[in-house]
Amino acid sequence: MTEKVLLIDDEVEFLENLSERMRVRGMDVSTAQTTDNAINAVEEAEYDAIVLDLQMPGMNGIEMLKVIKERHPDMQVILLTGQATLEAGIEAMKLGAMDFMEKPADINSLTEKIKKAQAKKMLLVEKKAESRVKDILSGKSW
Amino acid sequence: MTPQDSRQESREDLRFFGTVSASVSHELKNVLAVINEAAGLLEDLALMAGRGTPLDPERLARAATTILGQVRRGDTIVRAMNGFAHLPDEPEDATHAGTDLAAILNLAASLFTRMADMRQVSLRLGDCAPAMSQANPFDLIRLLHSAMLAAFGTMGRGDTLTVSLAPASEGTRLVLSPSGAPLALPDDPGFNALAARLDTVAALDDTGSLVLAIRR
Repeated sequence: MTEKVLLIDDEVEFLENLSERMRVRGMDVSTAQTTDNAINAVEEAEYDAIVLDLQMPGMNGIEMLKVIKERHPDMQVILLTGQATLEAGIEAMKLGAMDFMEKPADINSLTEKIKKAQAKKMLLVEKKAESRVKDILSGKSW
Repeated sequence: MTPQDSRQESREDLRFFGTVSASVSHELKNVLAVINEAAGLLEDLALMAGRGTPLDPERLARAATTILGQVRRGDTIVRAMNGFAHLPDEPEDATHAGTDLAAILNLAASLFTRMADMRQVSLRLGDCAPAMSQANPFDLIRLLHSAMLAAFGTMGRGDTLTVSLAPASEGTRLVLSPSGAPLALPDDPGFNALAARLDTVAALDDTGSLVLAIRR
């Protein structure tokens, strides 16, 4: 199944080249260069994974992660950073990031993580659907 | 100055050095990330060509242009870092040839543009009349950093801070002019101590600009 990905980074050339490489690998990729555009994109569509730069002008990646998780708790976010410190990694995981990678990132590792994100999201969606079915069945008097 | 004050000052200098180094290393990581993706794309296209997909010369050229552009960007960043790293080389005695203030302003603009970008503010250089000073160049850069940080704190998204040099009756005036609302005087004991050490007086003018009058 085609992975649907949102890339968020303020570096235009980074976005252009990475998104092209991801499309060559069969992914459906959208991009956002600003945090405003990113928030709009997250509201307008569902993604299997969001790849988010930790250091963005205006709102930083951790704040953006909080916004995304508040509005879409099931969204899987992979943080990209120029400096993967242990503290930042722990904070990101506590806030619900799926994973944390240092730039420059290896495309194969990133692709693996995106596939895992898709699988995790599908599992969460299935569990919610199961839960809804159980609620409906327990609510019916046969 | 007590030994404790001296140690505190050294620590502040080191902290500042660390702040600038971290910013530079972050920016270089971004440069490497772009080169990594552009080079990776070339690798992908080569693989695809090996499997029979025709090569698009324009795509190749774009990737090459990206890589070359980022190499130039990286070189500019490293040059600025090198200039900064050599600032403490300047002697503090009578053999000090003098600090080129226009060069210091250029260096500050190179080093602190990223700081401005992160706050969604533009930093630009205005007129820089040639001027020499006996002030310590490392301390001057620290003072500029402190002044700009304070300025960015009061500026709005999309505003521009223009930094310029003008001769004064006594010494030189370094002027930080905002495009939007007037600036406030930095309210920071560190800034005030540094300004005093540099024999520099900070004041706001009628246009809401911060003027640093460097007297020596």
